[in-house]
Amino acid sequence: MRLLFALLIVTILFFHLLPLDTLPRPWAGPNWILAFAFAWALRRPEFVPIWALAILFLLTDMLLQRPPGLWAALAVFACESLKLRARSLRDSGFASEWFAVCAMILGIVLAYRFALMITFSPLPSLGLMLFEMIATMLAYPAAVAISYGLMGVRKAGPGDFDTLGGR
Amino acid sequence: MARERTNSSEYTAPLGRLLLSIVLLLLLGLFLIWRIDSPRVEKFRAQITDRFVPSLDWAMAPVTGAINLLRDFQSYQRMADQNRDLRSELRQMQAWKEAALQLEQENARLLDLNNVRLDPRLTYITGVVLADSGSPFRQSVLLNVGARDGLVEGWATMDGIGLVGRLSGVAENTARVLLLTDASSRIPAVIQPSGQRAIIAGDNTANPPIDFLENSDQVRPGDRVVSSGDGGVFPPGLLIGEVAADPSGRLRVRLAADYERLEFLRVLRHHGTSLVSDVPQIIGPVLPKSEDGE
Repeated sequence: MRLLFALLIVTILFFHLLPLDTLPRPWAGPNWILAFAFAWALRRPEFVPIWALAILFLLTDMLLQRPPGLWAALAVFACESLKLRARSLRDSGFASEWFAVCAMILGIVLAYRFALMITFSPLPSLGLMLFEMIATMLAYPAAVAISYGLMGVRKAGPGDFDTLGGR
Repeated sequence: MARERTNSSEYTAPLGRLLLSIVLLLLLGLFLIWRIDSPRVEKFRAQITDRFVPSLDWAMAPVTGAINLLRDFQSYQRMADQNRDLRSELRQMQAWKEAALQLEQENARLLDLNNVRLDPRLTYITGVVLADSGSPFRQSVLLNVGARDGLVEGWATMDGIGLVGRLSGVAENTARVLLLTDASSRIPAVIQPSGQRAIIAGDNTANPPIDFLENSDQVRPGDRVVSSGDGGVFPPGLLIGEVAADPSGRLRVRLAADYERLEFLRVLRHHGTSLVSDVPQIIGPVLPKSEDGE
């Protein structure tokens, strides 16, 4: 399953990199990688161990021309803190989960922008970032549905055997 | 079972926190190193891209082809309209062709009279676009030619007609072209009939604005914009596009290159660039060395 996650991320990257539209666009699609990482971290934390998240996010940073490391660090931190809250969120329905994820996305976007600002790095355009943020929030249920329906990533029930043994 | 879990997490939680802080420190450290010494990290990035993207090429080419085929299929429906437009355009073109032929002959005669030799060092290498930047925040494409083919950072890149961008990040097998539309692209240019100098500053839109224009009254929409060669980075005289005014009255460049489909790009070899190296010559003249110390 860990391999499946890596494969999923590389596939998304692959479609990002296809040289289809080289014209600048006034809009931005959702950040599917982040949405999937959150969805998996809340459902099956053992499938997305921290080292895998760190490597995959760093690869994304490198390939998509972002300042390397910053976005990866924030995303790993967000995933880990969602993992810690997964227990309390699992009993309280999808709406509260979605709300928590939205808050987390807002938090890391703000932190990302703030960190770029205090290091005097070139800032990406604000409109595009807001667009991407809202699109990611809206795309989260779709990412959950795809992971749940197509890939069978469900919350571990009390009677389930762990696929990986251990925890 | 729930109790067992909490028990086990009591032991693993500190370990997990330690792991998290190590990973975060490493990532943030990388970011800081990039901020301090970005050329080195960018070189590292180019190498990673060099490893990763060509290995996906076998899949990228057919998928891109298939999607483009689908798009073409949609455009077949408009074929009749296009055909009529093309016919009328062709009639206009014939008149232009006549004019061009006459001008060509005249030009050849004048060049001959002046005994001009065009620069033989301005040759080019053609590369195929492998991938784009992958994010809406950056505008760049990746070519399948690199340092192995003798590319050097900073060289100009054109499609058949106009300037597309310049090389920024050359790895062994791939090179990244920073497009003129990227927010960090700045190209010195000259606006043709009036000879005004300006900077074409990309701002992540399809038509980059013209900056640092001395006298905008002398510039009209429709004027030609060519590279000026100021700063020695670019060969002068490459076509960039033509001036257009946007609804708010700001002057922009309508780019001559076809940005909708960048497929094959030419990289112009340009040896006029003076290399900046950290030897004392760039600060002052070389002093004669004293033979025996004092």
